[in-house]
Amino acid sequence: MKNMVSPQRRKRIGLIKQELMKTGTLGIPMGPRLFLLLVILVFTIITGAVALMLATGTFTAGLTQSKMIVENELLHASQEISQRYGQISQQSVEFSKAVSDAIEKELKDLGIPVSNLHRHPEVLEEILSRQYDRALLTLQISKSSGAFLILDATVNPALDNAQNSRAGLYLKNMEPNIISSSTPTIIVFRGFPSIGRRNYLSLHAQWQMEFDIENAPYYHTPMAAAASNPGLPLARLYYWCSPFTLQGTGEQVMLCSVPLIDSTGTVFGVCGFEISDMLFKLSHMPERSIYSRLFCALSPMYRNTLAFDRSLFAGGYSAKTVLRNNGILEITDNDMPFHSYSQNGVSLFLGLHAPIKLYPEGSAFSHENWAAAIMVPQEDIVAIISRLNLLLFSSLALLAIIGIIASFILSRKFLKPIARGLAIIKSTDLEQAPKTKVPEIDNLIEHLKSHNKELYRKAMKGKLSISLLDEFVENIKTLSPSERTVFDLYAEGYTPKEAAKKLFVSINTIKTHNKRIYMKLNVASREELLLYISMLKEIGKDI
Amino acid sequence: MKRDTFVIVAFVFILGTILTACSSEILTGPKNQVILTLWHNYGGQLKDTMDEMIDKFNETVGAKEGIIISVTSISGSDTLHDKLIMAANGEPGAPSLPDITTAYPKTALILAQKRLLCDLNEQFTQEELSAYVPGFLQEGKFLGDGLYVFPIAKSTEALFVNTTIFDRFANETGVSIDDLKTFEGIFHTAALYYDWTDRQTPDIPNDGKMFFMADSLYNFSLIGCKQLGTEFIRSGTVDLTTPRARKVWESYYRSAVRGHAAIFDGYATDLAKTGDIVCSIGSTAGISFFSPTVTYSDNTSEPAELAVLPYPTFEEGKRIALQRGGGMCVIRSNQENERSAGIFLKWFTSPENNLRFVSSAGYLPVTAEAFGEIMTREMDSIKEQNIKNMLAASRTMQRDYEFCVAPLFEEVDQIQDLYEKRFKETAARSREAYLNLLKSQKPEDAYSIASTGVFDEFKDAF
Repeated sequence: MKNMVSPQRRKRIGLIKQELMKTGTLGIPMGPRLFLLLVILVFTIITGAVALMLATGTFTAGLTQSKMIVENELLHASQEISQRYGQISQQSVEFSKAVSDAIEKELKDLGIPVSNLHRHPEVLEEILSRQYDRALLTLQISKSSGAFLILDATVNPALDNAQNSRAGLYLKNMEPNIISSSTPTIIVFRGFPSIGRRNYLSLHAQWQMEFDIENAPYYHTPMAAAASNPGLPLARLYYWCSPFTLQGTGEQVMLCSVPLIDSTGTVFGVCGFEISDMLFKLSHMPERSIYSRLFCALSPMYRNTLAFDRSLFAGGYSAKTVLRNNGILEITDNDMPFHSYSQNGVSLFLGLHAPIKLYPEGSAFSHENWAAAIMVPQEDIVAIISRLNLLLFSSLALLAIIGIIASFILSRKFLKPIARGLAIIKSTDLEQAPKTKVPEIDNLIEHLKSHNKELYRKAMKGKLSISLLDEFVENIKTLSPSERTVFDLYAEGYTPKEAAKKLFVSINTIKTHNKRIYMKLNVASREELLLYISMLKEIGKDI
Repeated sequence: MKRDTFVIVAFVFILGTILTACSSEILTGPKNQVILTLWHNYGGQLKDTMDEMIDKFNETVGAKEGIIISVTSISGSDTLHDKLIMAANGEPGAPSLPDITTAYPKTALILAQKRLLCDLNEQFTQEELSAYVPGFLQEGKFLGDGLYVFPIAKSTEALFVNTTIFDRFANETGVSIDDLKTFEGIFHTAALYYDWTDRQTPDIPNDGKMFFMADSLYNFSLIGCKQLGTEFIRSGTVDLTTPRARKVWESYYRSAVRGHAAIFDGYATDLAKTGDIVCSIGSTAGISFFSPTVTYSDNTSEPAELAVLPYPTFEEGKRIALQRGGGMCVIRSNQENERSAGIFLKWFTSPENNLRFVSSAGYLPVTAEAFGEIMTREMDSIKEQNIKNMLAASRTMQRDYEFCVAPLFEEVDQIQDLYEKRFKETAARSREAYLNLLKSQKPEDAYSIASTGVFDEFKDAF
């Protein structure tokens, strides 16, 4: 390796070494010394600022701000959801009471016990038609997207699928958010077509006359709960069926279903209201001014998981990508401002959730837990905090650059008059020296002037004769060539350091020369030497 | 020294500008993140296709360009029209206008007159626009040369026949599906069907069933008149003064009064679901609203085969059909939103994406490129027979028919509604009178009495 170093490079290294040695022996000049001092000062200030930012949490301020946004949205959403679902639960219970009473009375008038309704399909159309006005009115009042009632009976018990077919009425409000409209927004999803035609309602594109209850927890669950909890009031029997796709449509709905019970305790059907995915979306859309993909979800909660496949969503993010997998999100509370919601070990969202109490104490379904959650895709939060910190670091970097530039300018500006002053001092003609406007240097020049005068006066007083000067001139001739060179430089106003630099020798060499020059010329100091030179110049004698 | 100072000041200024730009971006969130709300009328089975398309856009081009499309309303076209007009008028309880909406030209005209719509010429270059079928673009141009409705999918009107019922009827009576090529044939067959169904219950007289329905009586009259070589709309109103217009009007009126054709406040698909009609004319886009089964009043049901035939013509008329289908309008907002909406429209109507949407929905594509071989390939891959039948009928019509667009004038919306409403009211009143007269008169006489003076009264109301 050593052999690979070229002679030029070796020479350059040698020069650098020499420079460093010189610097070591001569010391760092005043300019760089001051510049370094100021730069250290700048970095000290910046380090202090960084420490202060760390202490006050400035670097995590983005996270704190994000948490505040999410917390506010969660508070707002959970209050709204609790209120709306509470209202609809209450209205469903009232609806059930009214429908149960009315149907029981009608059947009584017809001489049919409620428990025998399924044996009288011929009365179903009439009974359901009479409930149309009530269903329509409660639907319009409830601010829900649909109202339904299902009777435990079918129009045609002889059909193959009769055991899974139930007569009923399901009205859907396609525009629950419009207060008034000249075009009808209510259509018949299930029920006798005559009811729709009599009331100028269209049939839904996926209309069927009866409900298919083969896979309908909204029908079976509350009925079973009512049957196994006789005497439990309706307010403890209503059931919120988790979101499912309405048969034949791409629409997700959540149904609040309450059993229909007559005065003898016979359970003969269910009724209730619907919240569609669109209604949920329009009602609970979070504010997305900072995080455009912020979304709200209402999900069933099991221990530390959220069932996203049975959730309603509102916001700027399509959770369908999550649903394409298993639809279950695991909640991780890792002492961070946010919970992390992950799937198969991959954290997908950051956010917060709060429990939503859909059922009162003593309800047959009070063991079911629901949560409202506000979430953001993890990469969105990471991106915004990274950018905030990038801004902070850029600001600090800018501050450092400005500090370094200012240090450079200030050190140069500060040293300029000092350098000028030193140049004046180095000159032999202090009498003609101009003012530097630096009081300390001007004082020094004044001091040197008076000192020189004193020396001159002393010399005169000591009867310094011309012969002494002649002797001095004679002695100059005894100087060796190197000593003579140093002497000449002194005569030209060079300082020992400058002379060393000029002659490319060390200061120690100069000092050695000085000793010999002083001895040969018979002077005690450089000042005395300069005084002799000055006097010789004054009398016009060549040196 | 002066030069040094200048360099330093310039350096600090540039650095400061960069950092200020960074900070403003941080405050406004991710770069160019725009959320556009969308209202559309693609309900039923089309909702799934539309959802898939929007998800795909959001995950691909949208993610790249920072655009999120958020659907905030799915309504029927009538409700959507009503909602848009309510919102445009700022009526109490009306929602705010979305950023993008599907709309028919008659709706768009009202919005454009209120200066609420963006001229889409600003979002597309002439080269980009040249890729679209010129006639489709022309339909969305009004108020000068402004392009306010961008075509995304077009439809026409066709004849839909429940062949399960029709074949049963044809086997017993000897009628043929070819009889349904003309309106005269349809009305004649409707009379035969009424008699045939009436005979099924000999103990109940005059309880025959309806055979035919036109989804829009306005469109039926408009195209009927065109086929016969006369104009239905003149000087911004309905013109029934010509004998040909009277012929068109009376053909349906007579059939309706006698119970052969339906007068119904709703779509024909509603009546088709319960087997109350056998055939209807309506938009090809309505194909997905036809149920694969017919359910009768005792809840029994049977599978319903559906044939899609080219739009019928009057015997002496030309082969003319209506070009239908709205498009998308962009609500005027700010440059960024309008630019983003333009990106979405370009993506949505690119031949590949457009065909995926139209083929699943029963529409026709809007670019010339998509009409060619790609469409033939796409048709082969369609699994649903109804849509395949419909696209085949549409292609036949593209070849053999002349297409016209509904005239657009200031009060088109009111005139159309008024015409439909009065026609139905008049026919319903006459039907009631006819049924009363049947108790004492022969059907022909009863009709003659019930219909006397009705046309003149109807005509004079416009």
